[in-house]
Amino acid sequence: MLTDEIPEGLSVTTRELTYVKAFNEGMHQVMAEDPDVFLIGEDVAGYGGVFHMFDGLLTEFGATRVVDTPIAEQAIIGLGVGAAARGLRPVCDLMFMDFVGVAMDQIFNQAAKMKYMFGGNVSVPLTITTAGGAGMSAAAQHSQSLEAWLAHIPGLKVAMPASPYDAKGLIVGAIRDDNPTIVVLNKKMLGVKGPVPEELYSIPFGVANIVREGNNATIVAIGRMVVEAEKAAENLEKDGISVEIIDPRTVQPLDIDTIVTSVKKTNRVLVVHEAVEFGGIGAEISSQIQESAFDYLDAPVTRLAAPFAPVPFAPILENAYVPDAPRIEAVVRRLLERK
Amino acid sequence: MAIEILLPKLGLTMEEGTVEEWLVADGAVITVGMPLLRLATDKIDVDVEAEADGILARAVPDGATLEPGSVLGWLLASGESAPNGFAPSAPASDSLQSDAVVITTMPANNHNDVSQSGGRAFISPNARRVAREMQVDLARVSGTGPGGRILSEDVVEAASNTNPDTGNIRPGKVISPLARRDARDAGIDPAGISTDDGVVRRSDVRGAAASTPQNNASAALAPMPTQQTGSSVAHSETTSIIPLKGMRGTIAARMLQSLTEMAQLTHGFEVSMDAVVQLRAEMKDQYVALGVAVPSLNDFVVRAAALALRQHPILNATIIDKEIHLLGRIHMGLAVAVPGGLMVPVIHDADQLSLPELARATRDVADRCRTGSISLDELEGATFAVTSLGTYGVDFFTPVINPGNVGILGVGRLRDSGKWEGETFVRTQVLTLSLTFDHRAVDGAPAAEYLQTIAQLLARPLVLVS
Amino acid sequence: MATPTEALESVMPATRELVLDLHRRMVRIRRFEERAGKLVESGDMPGFLHLYVGQEAVAAGVCSALTDADQITSTHRGHGHAIAKGADFRPMFAELYGKTTGYCKGRGGSMHIVDMNRGMLGANAIVGGGIPIAVGAAFASQYRGDGTVAVSFFGDGATNIGAFHESVNMAAVLNLPVVFVIENNGYAEFTPQDRHMKLTDIAERASSYGIPGVIVDGMDVLAVRNVALEAIERAKRGEGPTLIEAKTYRYFDHQGIKGMRILYRDPAEVEAWKTRDAINLIEAIGVERGLVSAEEFADIWAQTEADIDDGIEFARTSPDPDPVDILDDVYTT
Repeated sequence: MLTDEIPEGLSVTTRELTYVKAFNEGMHQVMAEDPDVFLIGEDVAGYGGVFHMFDGLLTEFGATRVVDTPIAEQAIIGLGVGAAARGLRPVCDLMFMDFVGVAMDQIFNQAAKMKYMFGGNVSVPLTITTAGGAGMSAAAQHSQSLEAWLAHIPGLKVAMPASPYDAKGLIVGAIRDDNPTIVVLNKKMLGVKGPVPEELYSIPFGVANIVREGNNATIVAIGRMVVEAEKAAENLEKDGISVEIIDPRTVQPLDIDTIVTSVKKTNRVLVVHEAVEFGGIGAEISSQIQESAFDYLDAPVTRLAAPFAPVPFAPILENAYVPDAPRIEAVVRRLLERK
Repeated sequence: MAIEILLPKLGLTMEEGTVEEWLVADGAVITVGMPLLRLATDKIDVDVEAEADGILARAVPDGATLEPGSVLGWLLASGESAPNGFAPSAPASDSLQSDAVVITTMPANNHNDVSQSGGRAFISPNARRVAREMQVDLARVSGTGPGGRILSEDVVEAASNTNPDTGNIRPGKVISPLARRDARDAGIDPAGISTDDGVVRRSDVRGAAASTPQNNASAALAPMPTQQTGSSVAHSETTSIIPLKGMRGTIAARMLQSLTEMAQLTHGFEVSMDAVVQLRAEMKDQYVALGVAVPSLNDFVVRAAALALRQHPILNATIIDKEIHLLGRIHMGLAVAVPGGLMVPVIHDADQLSLPELARATRDVADRCRTGSISLDELEGATFAVTSLGTYGVDFFTPVINPGNVGILGVGRLRDSGKWEGETFVRTQVLTLSLTFDHRAVDGAPAAEYLQTIAQLLARPLVLVS
Repeated sequence: MATPTEALESVMPATRELVLDLHRRMVRIRRFEERAGKLVESGDMPGFLHLYVGQEAVAAGVCSALTDADQITSTHRGHGHAIAKGADFRPMFAELYGKTTGYCKGRGGSMHIVDMNRGMLGANAIVGGGIPIAVGAAFASQYRGDGTVAVSFFGDGATNIGAFHESVNMAAVLNLPVVFVIENNGYAEFTPQDRHMKLTDIAERASSYGIPGVIVDGMDVLAVRNVALEAIERAKRGEGPTLIEAKTYRYFDHQGIKGMRILYRDPAEVEAWKTRDAINLIEAIGVERGLVSAEEFADIWAQTEADIDDGIEFARTSPDPDPVDILDDVYTT
């Protein structure tokens, strides 16, 4: 169970919501606050979204603001780009993160670059929502984690909530942000419960969350791996190994300072994510860590991630593919081993 | 199970044989019958063959001369280590197959795995940094990380390492049985004999025995090597040796430097601690309720000493060449005992911290000194220092000033005493402050006045708490 | 692209103001493009340009039916649309020269010219990239109910790209106030139309989306304007998008004036189209109908020339951007 710190000013709450309900609540509240926010996507209105992210929005806000579209990802995102350029705040849902490829030109060539190419004259306050991650037997084209692609594009922001509290705070933050932002939910976390304040709040981008404090090793965990890292940490604690867990929350912008400060304290770091290891976001984080904290390392900066293969279907293969708490624990122990 | 390779007795009269040349390398995969080494005796030269399968771990080098029955090496099973610590690196494919669960590229990511080849020392960057800060000679540190990598933990432990049982044995030092017997007869510790290749032979023992003075000096520790350098020539009464290296060496050098450079003397001063004890007891619950660290009596004294420095700046000074420099900021060094020595972490701007903040800071640096995670800039920059031996029962003592400062305050134990109030003798609690000061900068009267100020602050400790 | 055989004439009604306005727009486009093209070929200006010469009537005709509040998206061949929509020469030349006084502060160049004040949502270097964006602009019009419309300009080649189909269908099913204008100049880059699609009249594609498709002679600026007005009115009435196919021709190469100097078009074809030049036609109409004199037309050419000189001078003397600012405007802060 993640223990998020509720920042000052927000009600300390015992109310728990699931990850998807927290996101949904954020959508309701931010759409109520700002009439320029509208939602489009496939099956978002009538059905409430295939993951129920958008339940109740059509009823509350009507068909002008909550729009079902044909299956046309380029047009969905492009519509969002055009509307955002005209000052509205579109939320365009891409359902599965794997579909980002279909819309890629509008995302990385249009939305991301308009501000810069047009000399600052145009802003694109567009929010793209999608769901990624494996472990659901959804196979290769419905299970990917492609945040490294998106984080690589100047002009885009990428958020990856790892708790119900984050799911609500980051979608609100993304919609309020004047830049094209992609919020990537994790489909295996939809039912995870956690404390969520009732009021409308947002989480700032580029500020990592220190999920757990510790001294012996740092784990930088992305998305659902934060949950797995927490489980590993509980187990390691029994042997007196105290692990610090950092959740960057947003991989673009990336709060490298919090990570480096932690590594300088613990001298050992593991970066873990669901995405394929080669060229994953862990490669960027590792490189930045060793650039800034080289003299503080007692072990090589280590990554734990998926192997270089598409996500397999068979559960036994998929389980071996995605990192989990026991494997995280094993790597931490290996980092600390001494003869 | 490691199979020993013994020096064979060839003939009844064979007293010793020499390993003329090993024919296979460490870590080589050996099969039964394979020639391992060429053995030379006074009569014949023969090849010694393997009597089992295994991975070779050599125990003696080329040229070693030993008596029959001596262990020349071992044949190891896969993944096994030899009794002398040698562990041949296993081929990568074995470790992958044995790791049934992991499909991730964890093994492939081990491109940083270190091999034993070449004699190059592998040292983590953090170990280098910590060694620099603690002035530890990395050549003396053995690594416990993967592949023998030296880690920062190894450095910290080496800095505080005393190992009286094993003395100064290098891992893998080999002492022949005959040499051991000779050494015992001569009353010499063979482990203390340093040789070029790590093997102690009878000739080495004979040499060591010849150079040892035959007297009955009672010193248990090795005398400071004033004339000799480097090589550890053992005193006949020595039972263990602690080198003046690392932290020990640093302390030795600094103490000597301080006492030879400064004109130090110490004032003793008894202060009443009743008010502090009472105030602390009253405030303890409040501190606990707030979740802040409860200040110790020592914290009160440190705060008083810091505040008093503001009024007596001559004690917060440093002498550079022929000038006394009064320093504007007050950085308090606190002596912390760690295994094998002491460290003096610094609380910067100690006078600006409130008492709870100071309490937390002192706890924090003390913990980190003991765990070895203190950093270099926290060990530098003190303008004054406080050292406490109260918990050891000491009342008055003569602390030594840290080089660069002009004063240091020693804190003795809290003890019961009494004083006359009119006709009544009342109980009090007091402790002795021992202020050592550099008379080049500070005269006796100003030093005494500083102590009086501290006493006044401790008598009205609400000032310290605000 | 078939060599045209019909003589150019127009039966459209026209007023003096309209003729002057349309003429001015087209002349400004014509001369800007010709002179900019020369500057690039001489190496004075960096990069490469996709020139609109020959197609002026389409941009001028459509944009004359729009206000500044209406939005257009454009293509890599976007100078004509920008000028027709009212962009000024100074910031246009400055942008082509990569100066801080350009429309995009020198960041975008030819293919990303933008003028938000005039409803020009930017040229676009990705074929079909601007079509979905126009749909979004129209969505905003509908969402706000402000009575504005959006127009997307694109070429015959772009109608083959996925984004085109998605966009037209999306706009149709959502009933968005957008007009899709195909500038069919017979070539997708260097490939003639009959080798990149089976259709001759692309407007036929409209029926696939359930919307009207209209063909217009792209050299008759009055006809183009007329057709545009009808489509705009339809959109404003909430009847959804229209697909307009304007048959037109570019005199210059895909990029530059002579471009790569590879002959892929029959010079006779080029000449044949030039006989149907749109500017000549509007001048003929103006004079023959007694609306505008030849001298007045000449004045417009002269004034345009002066404006261009001024624009070039402005651009040349404008400051270059400072590399120190290279990270500016990646994000909106």
